[in-house]
Amino acid sequence: MKYTSQAVAKPYFIAAIALFLGQILFGLIMGLQYVVGDFLFPAIPFNVARMVHTNLLIVWLLFGFMGASYFLVPEESETELYCPKLAIITFWVFLAAGAMTVLGYLLVPYASLAKWTGNDLLNTMGREFLEQPLPTKVGIVLVALSWLFNIVMTVLKGRKTAISLVLSLGMLGLAVFFLFSFYNPVNLVKDKFYWWWVVHLWVEGVWELILGAMLAFVLIKVTGVDREVIEKWLYVIITMTLVTGIIGTGHHYYWIGTPAYWQWWGSIFSALEPIPFFMMTVFAFNMVNKRRREHPNKAAVLWALGTSVMAFLGAGLWGFLHTLAPVNYYAHGTQLTAAHGHLAFYGAYALVVLTMISYAMPILRGRAANPEKAQIMEMWSFWLMTISIFFITLFLTGAGIVQIWLQRISPTPMSFMAVQDQISIFYWAREGAGLVFLIGLLVYICSFFVKGDSRAIE
Amino acid sequence: MDAQSTHISLVEMSNYQLATGKKNLPGDFALWIFIFAEMLVFGVLFVAYAFTRAYHIELFNESQLTLSRTSGAINTLVLITSSYFVVRGVTAIKQGVSKQCAYWLTGAFLLGGIFISIKLVEFHAKYAADISMSTNAFYMFYLSLTFFHFMHVLMGMIILAFIIVKVRRGGYSAQDYVGVETGASFWHMVDFLWIILFPLVYIIR
Amino acid sequence: MKQANPQSNIGATVIWLILVVLTLTTWRIGEAGMVGKSTMLLLLFIAMIKSQIVANYFMALRHTRLIWRAIMFGYFVIVGGLIAFAYLISLA
Repeated sequence: MKYTSQAVAKPYFIAAIALFLGQILFGLIMGLQYVVGDFLFPAIPFNVARMVHTNLLIVWLLFGFMGASYFLVPEESETELYCPKLAIITFWVFLAAGAMTVLGYLLVPYASLAKWTGNDLLNTMGREFLEQPLPTKVGIVLVALSWLFNIVMTVLKGRKTAISLVLSLGMLGLAVFFLFSFYNPVNLVKDKFYWWWVVHLWVEGVWELILGAMLAFVLIKVTGVDREVIEKWLYVIITMTLVTGIIGTGHHYYWIGTPAYWQWWGSIFSALEPIPFFMMTVFAFNMVNKRRREHPNKAAVLWALGTSVMAFLGAGLWGFLHTLAPVNYYAHGTQLTAAHGHLAFYGAYALVVLTMISYAMPILRGRAANPEKAQIMEMWSFWLMTISIFFITLFLTGAGIVQIWLQRISPTPMSFMAVQDQISIFYWAREGAGLVFLIGLLVYICSFFVKGDSRAIE
Repeated sequence: MDAQSTHISLVEMSNYQLATGKKNLPGDFALWIFIFAEMLVFGVLFVAYAFTRAYHIELFNESQLTLSRTSGAINTLVLITSSYFVVRGVTAIKQGVSKQCAYWLTGAFLLGGIFISIKLVEFHAKYAADISMSTNAFYMFYLSLTFFHFMHVLMGMIILAFIIVKVRRGGYSAQDYVGVETGASFWHMVDFLWIILFPLVYIIR
Repeated sequence: MKQANPQSNIGATVIWLILVVLTLTTWRIGEAGMVGKSTMLLLLFIAMIKSQIVANYFMALRHTRLIWRAIMFGYFVIVGGLIAFAYLISLA
């Protein structure tokens, strides 16, 4: 560890992994509820399990982003963090708010939760992914601002690099676009229109800047390739990302009451969204091929390459599958969307956070890399999780295609629930792959406890 | 593959480019990735226009007549001339004459301003006639294509402005002019996209 | 003050003149209200020739590797071809 204040990243990473485990457990619960409808009813109804599954995902990724940036920025800026104490306070506030919110979801009926938390004051709840009670939403804004403040002040007092600039820009966008979660117009079209400004512009816009910056950072560290070369690629990739991603928001505006031109704008620009992801893959493999050093942390290299490939497949390819308006006309809101969601979130964001953790955690624990045995376990967990999420994606894609056919194309269309019965085999297979994913995650967690002759710090 | 791999990667090409400035694309390779991506977007839009027109021929022919062919043609001449100025600017800096380079590029920048002004007059006329992207398929394409191109002209002018400032400070020389070539390549792309756009949207029927 | 060598600019000036003449031709055809298959193909051909000239001489791609020239040429052929195809099916 070059700067003592980087240590604040550690609790963030631990919390991220713990919440990741929680996310997977709730995913398994609701995966089973797809086929055994009354499983754990009425204790955990499907809608609650789903809410917890998706909200935990967002929260653990945010913990990961925060931890990663507290680790990354001091090193990039060549100075201590502006205020490590603030980072620790923010951590506890965020963790407490997150835990209370999840407990609220689980223990209180949603309507009562809304009533008690002042939803009458400012009506923001009840929308997919933005279910959080008002105090939690305000908390998220405060946490994001404190994070942004700490990082930007650190960057300002130290060396300014392209990586920290892109990262700060991504964080600023994250904070700004979340503000649209407070805007909930009565008009349903407007509501959905701006709802995507949070949901889409986060994951297909500003988060990609954070992703790009982190990947570039790890690649510089593990390959020793010139910063100049990596930074140039970073700029090209993020510019492409922003051009295609921002106008690509239009691919959510096809059938919700927005003007028809969005079908053209959305189709064309979102069809190009895979390009920056493809460039990222080419970039990552190029850098590793041209490496000037053999970094002892082989696992981190694997995670980094995995990120670039899986992000392209999940976000790029699976997104493209149903992004063109004529295709989306049939595919809209089917299991195909779920397939894309799973692979994209895992490939782009779960993996980049795990890449950062894999690179940073050994250093935070006082060594350049983990013992060989631990690294081998980590690589096993990479393959278990990656292959099983890929199978989850394939099964959901199969389910989606059958669903589209039976429900929307067939000359004798079936009703939604009748179709769900027809595709239950895919759901069973998905649940099986999900169990393998859980095993992979447990192996990953175990790898942190492997003892052995750790290599000396470089 | 090992570190001594001889295979030619994209990055090596860009390094090669920086080192020699010859045989490869003029300007920074990273920008050429953009240029190709932009060409792809415009290409898709052009073809989409043509195929949509095939289904609404009457509508397209009728709406097309409301466009000012003369302003379109003047704007084509403006962009062609500005591209020519940029070529002269690049030639000047290759011979190490920064001052002339700055003059030519400033000329190109001003012509960009004229293009923008004429385009704004056209947009205003359509706006005043209550025409929007929702009016019909032709205007959707006309406004999308020309507005998207308009943004590229603005972008090109910003790039030119940065280069002009650097040229005036003596930031480029007969040995180091990759930056000028990079900006020039972008500007020429903006030019030839308009060269296709103008007959397609304004003239051919 | 150093002067740029005037010789090297004659070529660019000629190219510029050709582009101007072709633009005016396109404009005249439009003003004359000419329509039909051959007019359409002629106008499209002029546009693609002009673009190729800009790429070759202004962008100076003619000094570059074959691959880059091929990409540029292929782009004009494919885009021009598809546009022509769309117009032809509408005429049929």
